[in-house]
Amino acid sequence: MEAERAALSSKGTELAQREISKLQEQITVMRNNLEEFVRDHQKDIRSNPVFRVQVQRMCQVIGIDPLASRKGYLAELLGVGDFYCELGIQIIDVCVATRALNGGLIEVEELRRRLEKRRIRGSEPVIEEDIKRAIKQLAPLHGGYRIVSFGDRKMVKSVGRELNLDQTTVLGLAVRGHFTLQDVQSGLGWDTDRIQTCVDDMLRTGIVWVDEGTKETEYWVPAFSIKSM
Amino acid sequence: MNRTTATATEQFEFPEIYSFPPFFTRQPAEATWQEQRRLWCNLVLSFYRHTRQHTMTLSEAVLSPPFHNYQIKRILRVDVLREIVDELVKQGNAVWVGPKHTKDMCLVFWRKPEEWAAMIHQWVTDRGMINTVLTVYELTNGDDTGDQEFSGLDTVVLRRALDILQSQGKAQLFVGSSDDDLGVKFFA
Repeated sequence: MEAERAALSSKGTELAQREISKLQEQITVMRNNLEEFVRDHQKDIRSNPVFRVQVQRMCQVIGIDPLASRKGYLAELLGVGDFYCELGIQIIDVCVATRALNGGLIEVEELRRRLEKRRIRGSEPVIEEDIKRAIKQLAPLHGGYRIVSFGDRKMVKSVGRELNLDQTTVLGLAVRGHFTLQDVQSGLGWDTDRIQTCVDDMLRTGIVWVDEGTKETEYWVPAFSIKSM
Repeated sequence: MNRTTATATEQFEFPEIYSFPPFFTRQPAEATWQEQRRLWCNLVLSFYRHTRQHTMTLSEAVLSPPFHNYQIKRILRVDVLREIVDELVKQGNAVWVGPKHTKDMCLVFWRKPEEWAAMIHQWVTDRGMINTVLTVYELTNGDDTGDQEFSGLDTVVLRRALDILQSQGKAQLFVGSSDDDLGVKFFA
C-alpha cells in the first residue's frame, strides 16, 4: 500500500514536471516570436503611438508586461522603458511647475498638450494611454500621482494628500468650471458649515480660486478652466 | 489711455490666466497668492514694455487694461495692485515716486536703469559722440534715435540712467534752466 502510494506520487510529479517543461518550451517559442516581431517593428513602435499601444495590449494578453522591470528585455527591445521613464519625468516636471496655479490637479488633455509643447520637436507623439502608463510607472516613488475622474473629465492628481469625499463631490459638481455656495446647497443639500469647511479646505490647497467680482461670490477650479496657450 | 496705447493693447497677447475671473480677486491662500502675484508682476512688466509706458498712477491705471478686463468685466482693486507694485519694487523693477505715504504713483522698469545706461552709452560710443555735449532732448527725440529702444524714454527714467553713468565717471551732466535743457557729455 505504502509503496504503491509512493510510486503513484512519483509518477504524478513526473507528469507535472513534463507538463511544466512543455509549457516552458512553448513560452520560450512565444517569447522568441514576440522578440522577433518587436525587433522587426521597432521603428513603428517608437513612432506610432497607436501601434505601440496595440503591441503592449498583445503583451498583456500573453501575460507579459514589457515594463515590469526596467531591465526587462522586452522593454529594452521596444525602446519603451526609456520612453516611459522619460515621459514620467516630464509629467512630474509639468505637474510641479503648474502646482502653484492649480493646486496639483491638472486635466489629462491639458497635461498632454503641455507635454507635447515641452518635448523636443521630432520626438514621438504622446497619447492619453501613454500618460496612464507613465503614471503607473511612477507609483514606486510614492508621489501620489494618480488619475481621478470628475464626471467625464479625467484629471491627474499630483499631490500626496487625498481629496476627501466631500471635496470630490463638490468638484464633480463644478465640472463646468465654477460654482457658488448656493449651487452646492441646492445641489447636495448640505448645511452651510459643511460647505464652508469643504470650500475653505480647497481654497487653502489652491485647488479652488475665489472670484469676488460678481454679485454672488464664485469659486473656480483652475484645473477645469485654464488652458495653456 | 491715448490712441497709441489703445492700439498697442489690442495687439498685446494676454496670458491664458487673464480670462480666468479669480485672477482679479486677491487669493486668500498664501501660496496661491504668491503665484498670482508673480503672474501679475510678469504681466505688468510685459504690458508696460509692449505699450512703452514707464509711469503708473495706480488709481487711474485700474480703469484700463491690463487691470481692467473689459471682456470678462473684472477689475483689480487698487490695494491689491499696490501689493503687486510693492513686490515689483522689492525686485528692483519699479520705484515709488511722489508723496511716499500715498503710494499712488510709480515708475515701472521693464528695463532696469542700469540697462538703459549701458544701452545709451553704447549708442553714443558707436556714433563717435564721446566727448560731445548732447541735450537730453536730442538723446530721446533726435532724428538719429528714432529706431532706438530708448527713443521717447520717460525723462525720469532717463535721468536715473544718466545719473548712473555719471557715478561711473562715464558722463557729466550740465543742468540748464529747465529739465529739457539738461545737457550731457559722455566719456569712454
